Amino acid sequence: MTVRYGARLALDDLSTSIPCGTSTAIVGPNGAGKSTLLRAILGWHSIENGGDIRIGDAHAHHQLPRLAYLPQRHAVDWDFPITVRAVVAQGRYPALLPWQRFRASDHAAIDRALDELGIVDLADRQIRMLSGGQQQRVFLARALAQGADIFLLDEPFTGLDLFATEELTHILRSWVAQGRTVLAAVHDLPLARAHFTHALLLNTRLVAAGPIATVLTEANINTAFRGGRCVHDNPLRRVSTTQFPE
Amino acid sequence: MNFHDLFVEPFTFEFMRRGLLSAVLLSLSGGLLGCILVLRRLALMGDALSHSLLPGVALAYAFFGPSTLALFVGALLAGLLTATGSALLSRLTRVKEDAAFGSLFIIFFALGVAVVSTLRSRIDLMHFLFGNILGVSGTDLQLAGLVSATTLAVFVVFYRPILLETFDPIFLRATGGRGGLVHIGILCLTVLNLIAALQAMGIVLSLGLFLLPAVTAYLWCDRLSRMLLLSVLLALAGSVLGILASYHLGLASGASIVLSLGVFFLFSAAFSPRYGFGALVLQKLRAGKGVLHDAGQP
Repeated sequence: MTVRYGARLALDDLSTSIPCGTSTAIVGPNGAGKSTLLRAILGWHSIENGGDIRIGDAHAHHQLPRLAYLPQRHAVDWDFPITVRAVVAQGRYPALLPWQRFRASDHAAIDRALDELGIVDLADRQIRMLSGGQQQRVFLARALAQGADIFLLDEPFTGLDLFATEELTHILRSWVAQGRTVLAAVHDLPLARAHFTHALLLNTRLVAAGPIATVLTEANINTAFRGGRCVHDNPLRRVSTTQFPE
Repeated sequence: MNFHDLFVEPFTFEFMRRGLLSAVLLSLSGGLLGCILVLRRLALMGDALSHSLLPGVALAYAFFGPSTLALFVGALLAGLLTATGSALLSRLTRVKEDAAFGSLFIIFFALGVAVVSTLRSRIDLMHFLFGNILGVSGTDLQLAGLVSATTLAVFVVFYRPILLETFDPIFLRATGGRGGLVHIGILCLTVLNLIAALQAMGIVLSLGLFLLPAVTAYLWCDRLSRMLLLSVLLALAGSVLGILASYHLGLASGASIVLSLGVFFLFSAAFSPRYGFGALVLQKLRAGKGVLHDAGQP
């Protein structure tokens, strides 16, 4: 697929296939199109020349009901007057008509999601009154309540402290172990290498895709990070996620 | 002065009853709409939009006289022209959306003032800009009722899409929602409410009836449903207080409604237990820190 912002090419003729039951890190320099790819899969951007992004054995477009999207932290208005439970309940909205009342099964799905992520006690809090890791789990719970099993995460580790990062990787690992599929934009290469099974290396065009070890080779990384217009000093150096917002 | 003189006597007059009814109807819808504008950070855009209605209203008045239908159509066209015009400008030129809106609305406003200045008397300009509760006609009331009922119905039926479009538009679109439609719907409802509020509040002040109750409620509530309810109640209270004040003190009705709401807002900004600056001051004093030094830091 190809995506443009005005005259700028954000994604150039990209086709790939993402295996089910794996965790795939989308890596690449700033402006490589990581977020664009996630949003394009969701149908947010208008796409030129169709393209072929497959998840499992079906075209991504046909997987929409199974997809859940987690926004970047800074895209959320944390002062919004809304409680944890109300955010998680949004996961049930797509299954209902706008004016339809919640059924018992909807309430049950919300309770299960709150429970699985351990935020039952926080359910009545406003979302600003949580730690970074807890805020992340609220949106993960919303995705679960949706009944999705393919999760698209946009820079989920940005702004998390060490403990919360560990917690999140733990959750994602257990999800993959349960057969769920995780697709996350990650800018921290060592983190991707440590916690993801597969990777997709981008620099507006696809540089490499496949199992993590075969993708994140020195040669591929050089191509992605130094070949394009984005030049980083040393992409392999361990960068703290908090100092490196997109 | 007893209870009867204060609260009953003013409403023995037909025009006062009409003014009150019109303000009550618009409080119901404006209180809801204001919350969405505040949460989506469209407060200033709503202000610009309201100013841009003036040429439509003035031209309609110049050609058709004080006909509610003509004023309505004129204002609607002017509002739509500004909204679509600024969207086009920002897309087709280097100018960004806020600057496009800001430039276009001031041109429209000046055009409106120019048209009004060719009219017979200065009274007309004052009337358009600041409203006149004496001028609320039966047709104006019908329009206000219709707009208010429409807005309420839309909020009841489409509460969830409106909430999602305000809180997380990407999620709404990703789950098959028609986010663009919700956005356009909100803008149209805003224009409709502004037009309906024109007679009583005027172009410059009508947005105050929408925004002030909403920001006040924002300082008190942690749930959207409660914020909407409180906002409507505040709008109602402010309208009644304002109209009474305008009667007893001889103030312009629009101004006194906005001022009453302004008192609510400033009080809340100071004394809201969690989000007012009084709470911040107390917290810092307890922590033994300077207030101004790091105010605004989370």
